[in-house]
Amino acid sequence: MLLDGLFAGGTYALMAAGMALILGVVKVINLSHGAFFTLGAYVAYALAERGVETPIAAAPLAAVIAFAFGVFLGKSFVNPARTHPFALPVGTLACALLFEQVAQMAWGPHPLSIGADAPWIAPGGLVIRRWGVIAFLSSAALLGGLRWVLSARPGLSLRLIAEDEEIAGSLGMDVEAIRYLTFGGACAMAAAAGALLSPSGAVTPTMGRAPLLLSLVVVIVAGMDSVAAIFLLSIGLGIFGNACAWFLSPQWSYVALLAAVCLLLSARPAGIVALAGRRD
Amino acid sequence: MRNAAPSRAPKVSLRGGTPPARSPWRGGGWLAAGIGLLLLFPLSSPDAFFLDVFTTGFLLAAFAASWDVVGGVSGQITLGHALPFGTAAYACALLTSFAGWPLPLAVAAAVLLAAAVGAGIGALSARLVGPFVALLTLALGEIAHEAAVGHTFFSGPGGYAWGGEGGIPVALPWRDAPPFWSYYAALAFLCLASFGMLRFSRSGAGLILRAVAGSPITAQASGVPIARFRRLAFTVGSAFAGAAGAGFVLHVGRATANDLSLELSFQAATFAAVGGRGTIVGPVVAALVLHVLFQGLSLPPSARVLLYALTLLVTLRFFPGGVVGTARDLASRLGGKEGARPPRRRGRNRPGEGTP
Amino acid sequence: MKTLLSAEGITKSFGATQVLSGITLSVAPGEPVGLFGPNGSGKTTLVNLLSGLLLPDAGTVRFDGKEITRLPLDARYRLGIARTFQIPHPYPALSVREAVRVALAVNAGKRKEGGGTREDEEGPTEDLLARTGLFNQRFVPCAQLSQGCLRRLEFARALACRPKLLILDEIFSALSAADEGDLMALLRAANRDEGTAFLLVSHNPPLLKALCRRILVLEEGRIVRERTV
Repeated sequence: MLLDGLFAGGTYALMAAGMALILGVVKVINLSHGAFFTLGAYVAYALAERGVETPIAAAPLAAVIAFAFGVFLGKSFVNPARTHPFALPVGTLACALLFEQVAQMAWGPHPLSIGADAPWIAPGGLVIRRWGVIAFLSSAALLGGLRWVLSARPGLSLRLIAEDEEIAGSLGMDVEAIRYLTFGGACAMAAAAGALLSPSGAVTPTMGRAPLLLSLVVVIVAGMDSVAAIFLLSIGLGIFGNACAWFLSPQWSYVALLAAVCLLLSARPAGIVALAGRRD
Repeated sequence: MRNAAPSRAPKVSLRGGTPPARSPWRGGGWLAAGIGLLLLFPLSSPDAFFLDVFTTGFLLAAFAASWDVVGGVSGQITLGHALPFGTAAYACALLTSFAGWPLPLAVAAAVLLAAAVGAGIGALSARLVGPFVALLTLALGEIAHEAAVGHTFFSGPGGYAWGGEGGIPVALPWRDAPPFWSYYAALAFLCLASFGMLRFSRSGAGLILRAVAGSPITAQASGVPIARFRRLAFTVGSAFAGAAGAGFVLHVGRATANDLSLELSFQAATFAAVGGRGTIVGPVVAALVLHVLFQGLSLPPSARVLLYALTLLVTLRFFPGGVVGTARDLASRLGGKEGARPPRRRGRNRPGEGTP
Repeated sequence: MKTLLSAEGITKSFGATQVLSGITLSVAPGEPVGLFGPNGSGKTTLVNLLSGLLLPDAGTVRFDGKEITRLPLDARYRLGIARTFQIPHPYPALSVREAVRVALAVNAGKRKEGGGTREDEEGPTEDLLARTGLFNQRFVPCAQLSQGCLRRLEFARALACRPKLLILDEIFSALSAADEGDLMALLRAANRDEGTAFLLVSHNPPLLKALCRRILVLEEGRIVRERTV
C-alpha cells in the first residue's frame, strides 16, 4: 500500500509539475488539468482494448494527443481570455466538464479497468506492481528531464517569461506562442501521468478530479520553483491519499484532498495572495 | 462647503455631459410582455411535460439570478453555488420527513440555513482573490456533494434507508399538486425573487458591491469594509439560492445529491455568463431560454451538460459581456459612443508595488 | 503642539531587504507636510503603512490619540485618514458619480448597509463633483477617464469622508498644467477652509515648497532631514 502510494505520488508529481508550469508561465489556474489526466487514462484503455497493454506505449501517444488538444485550447481560449478574471476558472471548468461528458458518451459512465500484469512478489511478502515501477520510473525520468530543460537554454525563456513578460517580449520572444506551447506541454504531462497510472484503478469519466485537486494542493504548498519540492510533496500526498483510500474508503481520499484545499486556502490567504500577486 | 467651488472652470472635454439615456426600467415593457406570455402559456393546455420543464426553468432561473448576486454583482466567482441550493433542499427533506416539522416552518428554516451557509462561505472566501475563490467554493461544494452521496441516513419511518444516490423524499402535505399550481407558484416565486434581487443590486449595498467587484483596493480606500460586504453578498445570494432549492424539492418531491453537484453550480455560472453578469435579468432570461431549449429537446443529461459547456465556452470566447453586455456594446457603438465596455484590465496592479 | 498622526519606530522589510528602518514622524492637525525622497527611498511603502494597506514589522502608528497600527485601510478611512493612489485603480463599470457615492455611502452614518437614501447623498455628491471639476463628467464610466480626471476622482473620493488627514501619493506627477493648478487650488482650499492636514508625497521640490510648511526627506528608509519652509 505504501509502495502504491509512492508510485502513484511520483506520477502525480508529473501532473503537478505541469500545473506549476502553467501557473508559472501562463499564470493561469487550469481547472481542466484533470480532464487531460482522464484523457490519458482512456487512451491507455483504448490501446489495451486493442491488445497493446503496456503503459509505456500509451503514455507517449496520450501525451501527443493531449499536446494537440492543449495547444488548441491554449491558443484559442486560454491566451485570449487570460486576463479575464471570470472567464478562466469557469472556462477551464467548462472544458473539464465537456470532456467528462464526451468520455461518458464514448465509453459510458461505468468504471473500466485495464488488466494489470501479475505483480512481483518480493521476498518478505512485499507486493510490487509492475505498472507502479514503470510509472514511477518514467515519471521520475520525465521530471528529471524537465528539470534539466528548465535549467538549460530552452528553459531560460520560460523562466524569463515567468519572471517578467514585458522584458521577455522586448527581447523578441514570441510570448504568446511560448505560452500556448507550454500549456500544451503541461497538458501532455498530465495525460502521460494519466496513461501511466491507468492500470492502478478504475478508469471513469470523473477520475481526473482528485489528481487535479492533488496537483493544486501541491502547487499551492510547494510553489512553482522547485521541481524536487513538487516531487516530494506529491509522493507524500500520494501515500496519504492511498492511506485514506485503504483505511476508510476510496472516496475519502477525494474528500480529504478537498478539505486540504479548503484548509489551505482559508488558513493561508496571505501566502496565496502573495502567489497571486506575482500574476501581473 | 459649497462656496469652496473652484473659481476656474474645468478645462476638460465635455463628452458624456448628458445623463445616460438608459433608464433602469427601460426593458420593463418587454418584461411585462414576457411575463404575460408565461402567464397565458398553461391556458393553451400544453403537454404536462412542458409545464414541468417551465416550472423547473423558473426555479433554475431564480437560482441563476442568485448566482449573479454573488458572482456578478459582487464579483466573487463561486463554483459552489449548489451548496446553499442543495443545503436548503436537504434541510427541507430531512426536516419534513425525519423531524416531522410542518412544511412552512421547514422551508423557512431551510432558507435561513442556506443563508448561514452562504455567510460561512463568504467569510472563508472574502480574503481570497479571483481564481482562488472559485477554487475554494468548488472544493466546499464537492465536499458537500460527496457527503450527500456517501451518507445514508438512518432509516426513516417505515424502515427505509434514505440518502445516498436515491436521495431523501419530502413529506408534502399534498399528494399530487396539479401542474398548473406548481407552474404558477414557481412563476410567482421567480418574479418575487428576481424583483428582490434586482432591488438589492440597485440599492446602496449593491452599488458598493459593484465597486468592490470593480476595484477592491479603491473600494477599501473609500472606507468599504470589503470582507463584510462580500459576506453580505454571499449571504443574500445564498438565501435566494436556498429559497430556489426549497422550491425545487417541493416541486420534485425529493432531495438528491444532484442538488449539490458541481454541474448545477456550473449551470448557474453558465446562465449568468450567457445572460450577462451583474444584470440579474440577463441570467434569468438566459436560464429560461437555455433550459427550456435543452430540456425541451429531451436530451440525455450528459448531452445537456455538454451543450451548456459548449455554450459557455463560445460565450466567454466571443461575447465576454454576455448577451446584455454585447447588446449594450452594440447600442453604444450605433449611438456613436465608442467602447461602453471597460477595457480589459491587464492583471492586477497592486499599489504596494508601484515604487517601493 | 498637538499631534494628529504620529508614527514611531516604523520598520518594514520585504524578504531580505529592509525598506524602512525606524521611521518616526508626526503631523499636527491642519498641518501641510511634504515627504520628499528619491525613487526607491521607501516613500510609497511608508504611505502604504500609514494608510493601513500594509502592516509594519515594528513600530506604532497613532491617530487622534488612538493607536491604529493594525487597523486596515477602510477603517482608517472611516476614522478620517484618506489616501490617494499614485496609479489610480478606477472601478471599470461605475460612473464617476457612482464612484463618489460609494465613498459617501459608507460614511453616511448607516455604515453597515451603506444606506442613506439617494436624496441624502445627492447634495454632497454634486458638491464634491463640482469642487473637483468633474461635474460635467459625472455620468462617464470611470474606465474612460483621462489621467487628469482620474486624479480628480481620487481627490473627490478622498475628500468624501471629510478627512482630517489626506495622504497624497504623487498626485501631481505627470499632469497637465491646468489639472495641476486645479488640484493644487483644491488642496489649498481643503487645508484652509476645513483644516485638513495633509502629507504630500512627491519628488518635485518646488511643488512641495509651494504647498507645504514642513518637508521631510526620506533616503534609504530613514528620515534624514526635516526642513521648515
